[in-house]
Amino acid sequence: MSITPVHYIAVPLAAAFLIPILSKFHKETARIIPGLVFSYFLVISFVLMRQVSNTGIISETIAGWRAPWGINLVFGYFSGFFATLMSVIGFLTWLYSYRFKLVDSKPAMSYYILLMMLVTGSIGIVITGDIFNMFVFLEIVAISAFSLTSFYPGRDGAEAAFKYLLIASFSSFLILLAVLLLYTQTGTLNIAELSTKVHLIPQSLKLTILVMFVVGLGIESELFPLNGWAPDAYSQAPAPVGAVFAGVVVKGGIYATMRVMFTMFDINEMGQILLILGLITTIIAEVAAIKQTQVKRMLAYSSIGQMGVVMMAIGIGTEDAVFAALFMMFNHAIIKGLLFFSTGFLLHNSLTKTIAEMKGVAKKFPVLSFMFALGSFAIVGLPPFSGFWSKLYFLMAAADAKLFSMIALVLAVSIVEIVYYFRVVGVMYYHQPDESLPTKQPGLNAYFVMGFLAALIIGVGVYPDLITNFLHAAAYELTHKTEYVQTVLTQFVR
Amino acid sequence: MEGLAIKILGAVITTIVAFAVGMTYGGITRKLTARVQNRVGPTIFQNFIDLLKLQSKKTNIYHGVMGHFAPMWIITAAITVLMFIPVLHPGTAWYNSWFPNLSFHGDLIFLLYMMVFGSLGMALGAGQTGNPNSAIGVTRGLSQMVGFEIPFVLALVALMVQYQTTSIQDIMTVQRESGVWMMFSNPFSFLAALFASLGMFRYSPFDIVGAPAELASGPVSEFGGKYLGTMMSGGSIFAFIKLTLYVDLFLGGAYSIPELLIKTFALYMIPVFYGWVNPRYRTEQAIRYFWGWPTALGVIGLLIAIF
Amino acid sequence: MNTLALILLILFSGAIVAFLSEKVSKFLPSLIAFISITAAGILFYTSPADVFNFKLSMAGLNFTLKIDEFSRLFVHMIIGLSWLASMYAVGYMQNKERQGTFFFNMLLSIGGMLGIVAARDLVSFFVFWEIMTWSSFLIVVWTGADFRRTGIWYMVFSAMGAYAMLMAIMMIYSDIHTFNIDEIIAAIAEQRLPHLVEASVLLLFGFSVKAALMPLHVWAPNAYTQAPAAYTAIFSGVLSKMGIFGMALVLLSMLKFANPADFSLVYINGFIGQILAWLGAITAAIATLYALIQTDAKKLLAYSSVAQLGYITIGIAIGTPLSVMASLFLAVLHALFKGTLFLAMGAVERQAGTTDMTKISGLIRRMPWTFFVTLVSIISLAGVPPLAGFVGKWMLYEALITNGNVFMVVVVFFSSTAAFLYSYRILFGIFLGQEEDDTAHVKEAPLSMILPMVVMALLLIALGTYPGLLFDPIAQGMTVLGFENVTWQMTVLSNVWGNTVNLMYISTTIGVAFVAALLFLTLKGRKGSRNVGTKDISTSGEIPLEHENLTYQLDFFKPFERAASPLYRRKMTKIYDDLSNGLDALFDFTRKIYTGNGQTYALYVVIFLVALLIYVQNTL
Repeated sequence: MSITPVHYIAVPLAAAFLIPILSKFHKETARIIPGLVFSYFLVISFVLMRQVSNTGIISETIAGWRAPWGINLVFGYFSGFFATLMSVIGFLTWLYSYRFKLVDSKPAMSYYILLMMLVTGSIGIVITGDIFNMFVFLEIVAISAFSLTSFYPGRDGAEAAFKYLLIASFSSFLILLAVLLLYTQTGTLNIAELSTKVHLIPQSLKLTILVMFVVGLGIESELFPLNGWAPDAYSQAPAPVGAVFAGVVVKGGIYATMRVMFTMFDINEMGQILLILGLITTIIAEVAAIKQTQVKRMLAYSSIGQMGVVMMAIGIGTEDAVFAALFMMFNHAIIKGLLFFSTGFLLHNSLTKTIAEMKGVAKKFPVLSFMFALGSFAIVGLPPFSGFWSKLYFLMAAADAKLFSMIALVLAVSIVEIVYYFRVVGVMYYHQPDESLPTKQPGLNAYFVMGFLAALIIGVGVYPDLITNFLHAAAYELTHKTEYVQTVLTQFVR
Repeated sequence: MEGLAIKILGAVITTIVAFAVGMTYGGITRKLTARVQNRVGPTIFQNFIDLLKLQSKKTNIYHGVMGHFAPMWIITAAITVLMFIPVLHPGTAWYNSWFPNLSFHGDLIFLLYMMVFGSLGMALGAGQTGNPNSAIGVTRGLSQMVGFEIPFVLALVALMVQYQTTSIQDIMTVQRESGVWMMFSNPFSFLAALFASLGMFRYSPFDIVGAPAELASGPVSEFGGKYLGTMMSGGSIFAFIKLTLYVDLFLGGAYSIPELLIKTFALYMIPVFYGWVNPRYRTEQAIRYFWGWPTALGVIGLLIAIF
Repeated sequence: MNTLALILLILFSGAIVAFLSEKVSKFLPSLIAFISITAAGILFYTSPADVFNFKLSMAGLNFTLKIDEFSRLFVHMIIGLSWLASMYAVGYMQNKERQGTFFFNMLLSIGGMLGIVAARDLVSFFVFWEIMTWSSFLIVVWTGADFRRTGIWYMVFSAMGAYAMLMAIMMIYSDIHTFNIDEIIAAIAEQRLPHLVEASVLLLFGFSVKAALMPLHVWAPNAYTQAPAAYTAIFSGVLSKMGIFGMALVLLSMLKFANPADFSLVYINGFIGQILAWLGAITAAIATLYALIQTDAKKLLAYSSVAQLGYITIGIAIGTPLSVMASLFLAVLHALFKGTLFLAMGAVERQAGTTDMTKISGLIRRMPWTFFVTLVSIISLAGVPPLAGFVGKWMLYEALITNGNVFMVVVVFFSSTAAFLYSYRILFGIFLGQEEDDTAHVKEAPLSMILPMVVMALLLIALGTYPGLLFDPIAQGMTVLGFENVTWQMTVLSNVWGNTVNLMYISTTIGVAFVAALLFLTLKGRKGSRNVGTKDISTSGEIPLEHENLTYQLDFFKPFERAASPLYRRKMTKIYDDLSNGLDALFDFTRKIYTGNGQTYALYVVIFLVALLIYVQNTL
């Protein structure tokens, strides 16, 4: 049996079904099977990416229905980039949290299944070629994310999950409405076919649909002022889940936005609005981040800020800008992952998770603190770490578009970013430690995960060509949608 | 070789003249001051007598290496500056060749800095003695220097810019050729420099460094014997240097020794007279004094020189 | 392999090895740092000049590194001072904690500096600039004292500067789509770039931060003080010169080639230069005033560094051949004498435990060599003949006077005269005055620390008479900048009006007079000489008790401070404090958008949806 994109969906669904049964016999299977699934994701990603580089975009129908009527999966460079990134982050998160002590009263089983479903749903978003299907996967992601947000028992977790639920229901409603409108107007749900038919929609209605997408997907991709749920969700979910939120869930939202804006519609229609929204998001998020006292909330706002810059790059809409956006997302995934992972242990036994509680942790956890500091340096864009290059490419794209005032504002909030990250690093390294906090040393698996991410950050920072060719291909594919549309449509017409 | 020998001889003669003139002026001042204060006062050769006494002391107090070096720095600075200052207009009379010097090889900026050399050495020596009065005196002296250097530099820059030269020789030549002294052609600059000279000579009201009865003669309070004697000699040469510099720059220079003596003595009496009628300032008053009218005059002089 | 790349590789990998080797032995990182720098130096000086050329294509960008004659001057400074400082650091850092971090960052910043001066494209320039910045930041906060005030301020100002540079780089990029400096210069000569003026101003802003020019200097005194002395020497000596290097690049290399037909650009160039020069002059004056009221020797020197960089900036900004030469000469000298001074203060700190001048005094007999090098450096700093400082000062004054910048001369003269005050302060405060009982145990620093300082002191003495030794590389470098036929002589200085100063005559005269006086004073009455201690003084006929210390240390220049009180009234730091408080309040206000209330968030979504719909329907 050759490996096809559908394995991304089928295998975890089967596993999810098997886990409750198998765990009756052996408790550990609940931990191990998701890991196997994630490992398999890595294999699929690797094999499919090689296939894409040899033969071009892969399109696959499920259950034999022809596109545009059947559900089809499309796997090209662009989708492949996201799928691979999500697989890697998913696997690393699983490995990292393999021994992560969750609250004892609740079985750890559900954590791993939810994690698996979260990643599966996100990968589903990026590989599906069908807009309704995309909606369904967005819902899967959302439901898993609610559950993980309220994973710890208690008022705060429930409140955060409720807020998330409330806002995300707007998102579902708007996206569903937009999909319905599209279907009534064009009679298809296939993205490729939609892209050939959207010009048939009356202008005014088309704009309404676009606005619905912008708002609906903006909620998922944390645009201001739609991102009120995000800081609570990040800070209440278990620390490794923060990495998944930043590295996988948000990426799913951004992917959907890009797919809708670039492939289905023309980016120029909403580019300006996305650009300004992204800018406002960045400014407000970074400013809010500096006033946070909790580390995870700070990281959450920082994530929002980064996504704002990504959204700006999408708004610029040139191939270079998309390349920069993809690079930024890659960096954000690995760097934020490292930050969340290291924070998880640094504040393991703290209840309030405040910055003040990280006083002098560097003495107890030199390696973890080093990882956090490395992450901080990378995320504010200092060379020679990977964060620098994406920032540089973003600025180059913005300079090409002559957006100097935007560059200036982004750079100005970068200074704010430096202040709040370095302040935490300062607290970690240069304050006298509190003796009160009990400590927990990370296991070998966690060290491996963080070491891998750190190596990736430095590796890409020193030699960005590790990833740039790949990203260039992805950006090219997105901004030149003909190949995508042709592949999907012709495959079934013949 | 013969030229070199004559030059060295000339240098020695210059030094001796400078020393003698400086010492005598000091003696005359003491005498005059005493007469003004209705005292008999010492003879005008009292400074020579003092020096003789100091140099013939058998026991000398050694305060450490900087204390040992301090008088040397003063006398070295004095002799060096003297060598680079044109004493007389060159080549106008036969005896002018007795005062050959190296003034072609140094300029005003160099002189300004070189004149500090001695004070710095003095300050270091005074510091090492461990006497708190010495250190206080030094800080006062340095502070006052920042005060009077500003009008002085304003005046000098005005001359340099107006005549497009930094060489004293050239400024003397300008005066010789035009026949007009700088004190008439650049009156504001001259006045600024003149006020600055009050601080330079450290007579009352600017005698805050030595400050008798307050700091027990300040920086020199721990020095005696050969050290104090050498310092005195250096100081006397410096007095001559400053006066000669002013004469060269503002009073048209001198063609002969008597002319030089008349001009320098007239100049010298200005700070002395000023001192007779003024009690001592506090340090900040002294500094503020120089940053007031003298600086304003200097700025006016400079503005005139530019436009 | 390419020699230039190899040098950088040695330094960067040396950094990593030094960092890791701390686990093996505390002593090892310092040794590795010394060996790395030595290796890099040997490689640099044994290779022919034309091999320092390195090109790399990566990530769609072309990186070009090349050491030309102008860079070479700075490379001499970087390698020379770093080598001496790392030799010194072996002894200085002995028995200190976290040496691995220190030497890691030290090597990294040295590599960064070499990269900066070698960079011929703006991206690699920026990359190395940032590496230098964050590694020096980590050293500044290395001691951990006062992270917020020192570290964050340094980083914020550096980031402001760096991002201004980045903005300028992007402007230039958007104009001509290249980062290569040579191509940019060629383009400037041919066409009018729409953003050239803005980009130049932003670049100069960025460089002014590193050169600690008013009003962007507030980070510098604390940062110089907080960094360990072995690094402060490099920090103040060469790292700050990167700002000067950049200014020279912009003003002399880029703007000067701007199309002469374009009158406004030429005008702007002169105008920018004048503004920058005045900023330099004001920096020099104000920083000097603040230097002389300090009681901590290191902080005093830190302010003094800011002032000296002001002078250097003036020379570059004025841009005449003499002024540029003066500026570069002063830059090298500053590296020498300020390097020596910081190292000497490090030695004092290590041996006597503090550099607070109110706590120590009279160390001259305990640390004679340290005193000697401090004296030589201070004389150079003050610009008193016959040491090298005079040469630089002279050229600067003459350049300004002959160029007609007369009021600037007065300001500069004021600050250099006021510099005598702090020069004396530091010599007196630490080495002179009465000997303390507490410091009776103090011994001279070990040879490995003394040697680098003595080497630099001897260089200062030699350059005082033979400045031509240094004029040679400077003149070669200036040829690259486009100054044709820069004339210089080994021992004679001259200005454009034809006035000269012959240093050989000066040194000889001083030498002869000094030796004569020395012989006279030493030989005469030698037998009657009585050695006394610092407590044996004639204070009103009393002899102070042994435990009393009468040294005058507090409020040293209080009368001067009172006289100049209007100049001390306004503090730049207060303005920045107010600014940061204001921003803080604004941030807090903005943060409150996130109320934490789910209903509010839902309301936001609805309002936003409606607003966007209305907007889109009405405008698009």
